[in-house]
Amino acid sequence: MERPTGPWDPGLQVERTTLAWLRTTLAFVAGMLVLLRLIGHESTIAAAACGVLTLPLGITISWLVWRRHLRNERRLHAETPLPGGALPAAVAALSVLAGCSGLIYVLFA
Amino acid sequence: MATDPEDCDSRWPRRLYRDGSEPDPRFTLANERTFLAWIRTALALMAGGVGIEALNAVTDRPSPFRTALAILLLLAGVLSSATAFTRWMVTERALRRGRPLPAPRLAPVLGYGLGAVGVAACVLLFVTGL
Repeated sequence: MERPTGPWDPGLQVERTTLAWLRTTLAFVAGMLVLLRLIGHESTIAAAACGVLTLPLGITISWLVWRRHLRNERRLHAETPLPGGALPAAVAALSVLAGCSGLIYVLFA
Repeated sequence: MATDPEDCDSRWPRRLYRDGSEPDPRFTLANERTFLAWIRTALALMAGGVGIEALNAVTDRPSPFRTALAILLLLAGVLSSATAFTRWMVTERALRRGRPLPAPRLAPVLGYGLGAVGVAACVLLFVTGL
């Protein structure tokens, strides 16, 4: 792929955004692992159930982020519009859910 | 080039993409990164809340102050992540219409609020050994 001659490099913009996505996914997975460890003190079954439900999400999000990265690069070079807001909305909803499970842990554990 | 499975006209939320014209992609990507920074802030707040509550589990003197602090941090986390997407959308709409960006209303509240929580936690730490 040819490097651009313009004042900004599309590759770097997309790379930075993808890294921000990966940092966020990592924070999400690390947070869930800590929460699972704490739930494990109360009930192993509950922790296992939550783990089975949440940990594949980390892999799924990473895969979707990688797909978004490739799509961003392709569209920037083709000068077509960037992808929409479905993935951000899903991640925001997940984050709200994570906060609510934290609240449930604090209030009932 | 492979055909793109997500057609440009089918982007979600549709109402947003019917407005205005395509902005500079740099601004769209910067908006996305700001959104992600808000989500990370929310996750950090939640981690702090759960961490403080976990202290109750390992000490023999559970404190209601700790639980109150944990709930406060978790609520701040939920609020931040719940408003992050709306803010992303409002900013993207402003970019598409070429209007000024919305004022960050939650940022000062969170800043001063966390400052106050920090001071209160310090006082509690020294007075009651929280």
